[in-house]
Amino acid sequence: MNKMKLKLDKLINEGVENLSVEERRGFLKMGLVVTGVFAGGSLLSVTSNVDKAFASANQFAEKYPYKPHYSMIMHIDRCIDCELCKAACAETNKVPNYGFRTQILERPIPDGIDQKREFLPVLCNHCNVAQCTRVCPTKATYKNQQNGIVMMDTSKCIGCLSCQLACPYNARYFNEEKWAVDKCNFCFDTRLSKGEKLTACSDACPAGVRVFGDLSNQRDRVYKEVHTVSRTVWVLRPEAGTKPNVFYTRG
Amino acid sequence: MKRITLLIITALAAMLAFSAGLVAASDDGYPDYDIIYTEPVVGVVFSHTFHVEEAGMDCDSCHDGVFEMEAQAAQAQPDYNMLALSEGRYCGVCHDGDTAFDSNSRCASCHIGVIGYNRANGIEEAAHGGH
Repeated sequence: MNKMKLKLDKLINEGVENLSVEERRGFLKMGLVVTGVFAGGSLLSVTSNVDKAFASANQFAEKYPYKPHYSMIMHIDRCIDCELCKAACAETNKVPNYGFRTQILERPIPDGIDQKREFLPVLCNHCNVAQCTRVCPTKATYKNQQNGIVMMDTSKCIGCLSCQLACPYNARYFNEEKWAVDKCNFCFDTRLSKGEKLTACSDACPAGVRVFGDLSNQRDRVYKEVHTVSRTVWVLRPEAGTKPNVFYTRG
Repeated sequence: MKRITLLIITALAAMLAFSAGLVAASDDGYPDYDIIYTEPVVGVVFSHTFHVEEAGMDCDSCHDGVFEMEAQAAQAQPDYNMLALSEGRYCGVCHDGDTAFDSNSRCASCHIGVIGYNRANGIEEAAHGGH
């Protein structure tokens, strides 16, 4: 009888690569993620996926470290590059015309039916593993410990531009008036700290592209959309390993 | 001498006919450049060339019932927006998902944005500070 017993801790994980999408999805709907395949697929190991974001590929957030955990999800198929977001941002945060806190990029789609282009709004991703704050020699840029916003203390900035080089998202410019690097702070000083619920760009968007919210609140739209299994959600440059808090989706 | 006079007369007649032809062409021709609306948002493109040559439409498909002849006249109207289109006015007369693709889809087909507007008008993007 002993020979029939499976020694579970000695089984070799055969990898989840060959598991069908349907099977994985079935488990996801039950709130489980398949982490291992054993004994020719007859045994699976699973773990709970509750409170995990699907967007960051293999780098699921175990939990959201901030409260509120400010985040944005971009519905990019709705972006028309009207740039009302940029105008509102510049006015609210006094961004000079040579600089930017947010930008709209354009990507041609030569094979598209009728639609031959797509616009991509970008801004600071307020990464959980921010490279800018890691390289800053004076701690002029830092993660706010409560809400996770990547902040700038302009009085400490020496203008070495290390943060610009470290940022995978080109989210920083040198502000000559402040003589310091300037960047998006989700309008923390200009709006959020004054009781406003939305950033200026999100508020100004006429097409509902920029949905701003709290990823730590399960009733928030950002949380719901990032955690919808049937919705494709992605982040920019996931290979940078920065765990960004700006998500992208369509529809 | 007579032959030269005849040549000159023939040339003049040809020039007259040619110029008359030109006038006629611009009378029932259409602009061969893109019309780019700037209101209520910047950068919405309309191409006569596409709608006539590819879609096979006539002048009176739109003029003057849906759009005035004067380019961009529609954007002076306060109701010239996506809501009106979805209610079957302006572009929405055809772009209803039946005759042509729904105006509620494929946004960036017509919306070329500030980037597209600047490109069409030869405006260079403002230089970015610091890099």
